[in-house]
Amino acid sequence: MKKRTVSLFLTTAMAAALLAGCGSSSSGTASSTASTAASTASTEAAAAASTTAEAADTTATEAASTEEIPGGRVYLLNFKPETDEAWQDLAQKYNDLGGNVTVLTAADGQYATTLQSEMAKSAAPTIFNIGSSTDAQTWDDYTYDLKDTDLYNHVSDHSLDVVYNGKVAGIANCYECYGIIYNKTILDAYCKLDGAKVTSVDDIKDFDTLKAVADDINSRVDDLNAALAGTAFDGTVTEAFASAGLDDGSSWRFSGHLANMPLYYEFKDDGVEDPTQGEATIKGTYLDNFKNVWDMYVSDSAADKATLASGSYNAEEELGMGEAVFYQNGDWEYSALTNADNGYLVTADDLDMMPIYFGVDDANEGLCVGTENHWSINAKCSQDEIDASLAFLNWVITSDEGRDAIDNTMGLSAPFDTFTGDYAPTNPFSAKASELASAGKTSVAWAFNATPNVDDWRKGVVSALTAYTDGSGDWDAVKTAFVDGWNDQWKLAHESN
Amino acid sequence: MDKTVKKYWPLFVLPTMAAFVIGFIVPFVYGLFLSFCKFTTVADWKWVGFKNYTKIFVVNGKVDTTFLHSLWYTSLFTIVTMLIINIVAFAIALALTKGIRGTNLFRTAFFLPNLIGGIVLSYIWLMIFNSFLARYSKTIVSTQWFAFWGLVIVVSWQQIGYMMIIYIAGIQNIPGELIEAAKIDGANSHQLLRYVIIPMLMPTITVCTFLTLTNGFKLFDQNLALTGGNPAKQSELLALNIYDTMYGTTGWQGVGQAKAVIFFILVAVISLIQNKLTTRKEVQQ
Repeated sequence: MKKRTVSLFLTTAMAAALLAGCGSSSSGTASSTASTAASTASTEAAAAASTTAEAADTTATEAASTEEIPGGRVYLLNFKPETDEAWQDLAQKYNDLGGNVTVLTAADGQYATTLQSEMAKSAAPTIFNIGSSTDAQTWDDYTYDLKDTDLYNHVSDHSLDVVYNGKVAGIANCYECYGIIYNKTILDAYCKLDGAKVTSVDDIKDFDTLKAVADDINSRVDDLNAALAGTAFDGTVTEAFASAGLDDGSSWRFSGHLANMPLYYEFKDDGVEDPTQGEATIKGTYLDNFKNVWDMYVSDSAADKATLASGSYNAEEELGMGEAVFYQNGDWEYSALTNADNGYLVTADDLDMMPIYFGVDDANEGLCVGTENHWSINAKCSQDEIDASLAFLNWVITSDEGRDAIDNTMGLSAPFDTFTGDYAPTNPFSAKASELASAGKTSVAWAFNATPNVDDWRKGVVSALTAYTDGSGDWDAVKTAFVDGWNDQWKLAHESN
Repeated sequence: MDKTVKKYWPLFVLPTMAAFVIGFIVPFVYGLFLSFCKFTTVADWKWVGFKNYTKIFVVNGKVDTTFLHSLWYTSLFTIVTMLIINIVAFAIALALTKGIRGTNLFRTAFFLPNLIGGIVLSYIWLMIFNSFLARYSKTIVSTQWFAFWGLVIVVSWQQIGYMMIIYIAGIQNIPGELIEAAKIDGANSHQLLRYVIIPMLMPTITVCTFLTLTNGFKLFDQNLALTGGNPAKQSELLALNIYDTMYGTTGWQGVGQAKAVIFFILVAVISLIQNKLTTRKEVQQ
């Protein structure tokens, strides 16, 4: 009898632990980090409240501005972990003026889970992030129509808005660009070599030239190193392209960013007005171009083709230490590459970015410009909270404190008409994007934002790409994963229930 | 005294009971309910009946074998790790109860891996595996079998120490006179093991097989960090498969929950059977 009780107990305990585990283990960790952050935030808010009292006594001007600030509850669930501190500061400054703002940041890669558990609470986030129209679909019941709000009227580029189900569901709060980062110094040295394929970096204007240059660099590494004697990159070069890692930490550069190119051009052919909305079925018209670029990345690199998925490569470091000349990535890499703490050899003067020449419309192609950062307002909140949230965001993009934080502390390029003069974007890569755009090139939209069930789809593509690259699979499998995978996932993601 | 306890027992049980209800029963029942709903957040649901359950096996009108693959892959993984962990842990426990020099040092060394978290441990092993496999131009996710044995090695390495401690406690609990009597009766070391030690250890074996069995089925961290389900979900164990369904597919939270319910029933049935089988072999002292 006793044994039976013990076994029964063991089984129940296990069973219960199991189900509790499945249901909430992940959200459990998320919410525990969340609650710690929330408690810090609330202590900060309390501290802020006490300073408000003092501040109100001392400065009359501040007291005057307090009147305009609605006291409704504002709760911003921040998407970018690296901007957490800046947002906390900003919230405190606003609270000093009489606001009631709490900022919580989800752990890296945990936004979806954190949002899901936070939204179920009675004090749910009033401002949250949506990445794309897919997110807008998931959260359709929760997104407030931002059309004709002050915030909306300040947007300088409405192509970045997320429009879903007839609503402006999200407004971009920053935009990013990506392309091929290259080391100007090394490339200039290459151009002066005997028999170089180009005589100036500006001559690289299409895929064929880029490939010829990359092939040549990769086969003449020693000549190039000799030519670099006396510079910071004396003998550092080992490859043309930085390793194309297919591990989870790097594969999104190809299953996301590079895959954007064939998607974008196909949507454009099909006359899709907003490429970030995507299409239900794709044909993979430009997958051969995708293959050409991919083959170039892989063959013009020193990394072993068969072990790209091992996670033992660090492409950023390869470019930073002058081993690689080209590196496909985005403007967010700028601070990492130039940060003195990282000890890289490259300096701001060595860095530049060119479009990912794709062999389709190279003459008119600019950098890829878009964002996954959109503010949405929780429509299920009270009108008070919605108004207060809108007022807070409006303050962020119009006040000096807010603009300074976004521009300088967070280092983001914000697409609002208030960011001019001193607050114009400082990142040289995004400056390059604007430069190319004003020279008549077309910025490539982030068509990959439309990817249905993005994690699943990318996993399929990366697996096939890995097999193709290490020789155990063929390119047809990549095509299948890309095209059929998209069509299947789209059906799944958009089915009505 | 006894009488008072008998009278007031509900009062004493209350705190634990409340914790149990809040912590286990409520989420359990709510989870069961949600598996019949389409939901975005747990407070925002719509009843859809058995739709979630059919979607586990039929996707876009085609039979989908991802879940079934995870199921047999997990079962195989569980059986293999259960055997390896228990046999090795038992052997080490036997060796470390013989009173050899440095016993405590060895016990500590074997137990240490258990103190490192699953994610960190897996990232360390990922580095080791991939550095080694790089010599042969392979990675841990080259095929599902590389991933499989990688997982087996990591999990065994981590759990053997823990099970060893339980076995050591069990072995030390066997009365000395029993072993002495057997020796006087002329039992050799093999007979001693076969007819005295193992039967006396059956309760410990029950606990250890139970733990390794459920740990195997529930494995998540190591799977996520070591293989992430690659290649192409081929190394996805059940827990990771459920997690991926929940967060990877738009609007499929309910399907993830339905999978979790099936998962629960399965593991509950298997561990009940296991418990019955091993407890039947237990002897009373």
